[in-house]
Amino acid sequence: MASPSVTVQAEQITMFFKSGQQEIPILKNINWKATRGTIQLLMGPSGSGKTTFISILAGLLTPTQGQVYLLGQEITHLSRQKRTAFRREHIGFIFQNFNLFPALTAAENIEIILNMKGVKKEQARYQAQELLQQVGLHLYANQKPKDLSGGQKQRVAIARALAGSPCLIMADEPTAALDSQSGYQVTELLKHLAKEKGCTVLIVTHDPRIQDVADHITYLEDGRLILPN
Amino acid sequence: MVSLARKNLLEDIPRFLVAQAGILFAVTLVTIQLGIFSGFSKSTVKLIENSNADIWVASDTLVQLELTLPVPVSELIKARKMPEVARGDGLIFSGAHWFPKEGELVRVRIIGFNPQSSLYQPETVLEGSVSNLTEPYTAMIDIFDQNTLQVEGIGDQLQMSSLPVEVVGMTEGNTSMISNPFVLMSLKNANAYLRAGQTSQINCQLPEKGSQLECINMFHPEPDDQATTIEPNIEPRNLAASDVVTFILIKAESGQDLSALKDKLEQKLNNVKAYTKEELINITETYWQQRTGIGLVLGLGTVVGIVVGTVVVSQILYSSVSDHLKEFGTLKAMGASAGMIYRIIIEQAVWMAIFGYLPAMLLSFGVAYWINSSQGTLLLITPTSAIAIFVITMAMCIGSAIFAIQKVNRVDPAIVFKA
Ligand SMILES: Nc1ncnc2c1ncn2[C@@H]1O[C@H](COP(=O)(O)OP(=O)(O)OP(=O)(O)O)[C@@H](O)[C@H]1O
Ligand SMILES: [Mg+2]
Repeated sequence: MASPSVTVQAEQITMFFKSGQQEIPILKNINWKATRGTIQLLMGPSGSGKTTFISILAGLLTPTQGQVYLLGQEITHLSRQKRTAFRREHIGFIFQNFNLFPALTAAENIEIILNMKGVKKEQARYQAQELLQQVGLHLYANQKPKDLSGGQKQRVAIARALAGSPCLIMADEPTAALDSQSGYQVTELLKHLAKEKGCTVLIVTHDPRIQDVADHITYLEDGRLILPN
Repeated sequence: MVSLARKNLLEDIPRFLVAQAGILFAVTLVTIQLGIFSGFSKSTVKLIENSNADIWVASDTLVQLELTLPVPVSELIKARKMPEVARGDGLIFSGAHWFPKEGELVRVRIIGFNPQSSLYQPETVLEGSVSNLTEPYTAMIDIFDQNTLQVEGIGDQLQMSSLPVEVVGMTEGNTSMISNPFVLMSLKNANAYLRAGQTSQINCQLPEKGSQLECINMFHPEPDDQATTIEPNIEPRNLAASDVVTFILIKAESGQDLSALKDKLEQKLNNVKAYTKEELINITETYWQQRTGIGLVLGLGTVVGIVVGTVVVSQILYSSVSDHLKEFGTLKAMGASAGMIYRIIIEQAVWMAIFGYLPAMLLSFGVAYWINSSQGTLLLITPTSAIAIFVITMAMCIGSAIFAIQKVNRVDPAIVFKA
């Protein structure tokens, strides 16, 4: 079992994907952990298994073998409902393509997630405004995603990921769709807010320019961890 | 609460409008089919509904309102003597021939009633007054039959059977889809037309073991040399015990148990059967529904409407969900339970139902108004049927959500991290 300061711990994760008759190993016996309040970067070449790994850590995929402990709770053996509830309570998500709801305004994109987490009407509206303020977009509360720039969209997505104060933030390629300057700004903002709120942040990236925000970098290659020198 | 369902629905207005048009026509189709069914059923029993009687007494041969043998007035006299009976009146409901000024003979139905009694009163008198019917050889007709009967207006003199008739009033809503035009008149006048060209003879005998006199009324054509004239020189006379009526309408004394009174009437009067108003309505409606197969025909139309509506809503919900699959994946990844996802899709179905139902009702009422103002009540939308159609619409839309829900169920939340 993990010590209390460890928020994420993966033990002997092995993942096979079926391809026709064959079973192809994608992740090979990975052991990994992250301590509370750190910014973790997961890097590696394309096809090395980064997305597969973060999906397993987030409880979206079940590994062929191995255990994942989040906040001390083993999640790979939980029922689908319990895992869903766990994600709702404890994990915020950020995506490469933002995944905002196009029919909703910036504020509503955050409110709907707060509603989902049990925060009611007025309170949700207030918290959404506050979160938008924190990402510097309170003047854009009533804009729909199509009227925002890429960087602004990702800032809304960060605000949404932070809604309901989850302890873990999982982001896959959050800067890939942004130009380098807004990519950097967004990562800085994420780091700043995460530190302030004590979140553990796991970022999968190709982007070498955001390396300096990380407390720790893990390299994945061909389904194995490469220790940094 | 933020309603993703509503916002997604309104995000693409043209598609939303197309969807709503589909639902609109499906619901209108269902409403009109059911409306014609109610209108038809109601029209077959309007005469009964316009009566204020508690009990209708008819010959025990009765099949339905328009298919029964007459009852001698002697039975009416007996009924009136019963202490439980507050009021008893005869009602004549019988066929006759109407001679328009030009053109073909028309079969009509005489409704003979007591103009001074409240037990039967025609619906909506537009012109003239029921009290004018006490004059000899007078009648009222319905405005919708004005053309058929070739009546220009009040005061017209025409011929019915072999007697003259003067139109003294005009009503509205006294028609039946399955019957001939109604000619409303006093019992006295109706009796005169009924007997015109006929003589009647009443044969009474005491059955061997019975204590009651049994009477049979027989009609014979009048001998040729006595043929009645167009200009009658006698006034119609009051009904005698040997005359006949079609129904005896009974108003019970207040507080009477109607089913006990029915039994008693059947015991005391010869060869009759007694019905409450509702019973006679039921018998007659059922007869016409089965006889005409209208239930099947319109039922089929209703089913087609529901099927079309379900297909349209299913298709729209399915394609809407397919377009927003990534959003549902995102919600699932972020921890939305299956229930939360279903609620979004069902809410979308409910909005579609509401926005389909309201204009469909408006359209149906418009169509009903338009048809009814030229055809008499053909299409009837009652509050009950409006509610029933709302329930059908809801069920249809929510039922249609099944395929969309299945589609979303199959979405793997792990797709969110795939670019
Ligand atoms: N559902 C799946 N079924 C079969 N093979 C899969 C599946 N998902 C991923 N793979 C394979 O697993 C390997 C790792 O994929 P993954 O997406 O984890 O790589 P990645 O490191 O995120 O790559 P990139 O940097 O391009 O995003 C790839 O070879 C991919 O083809
Ligand atoms: Mg990837």
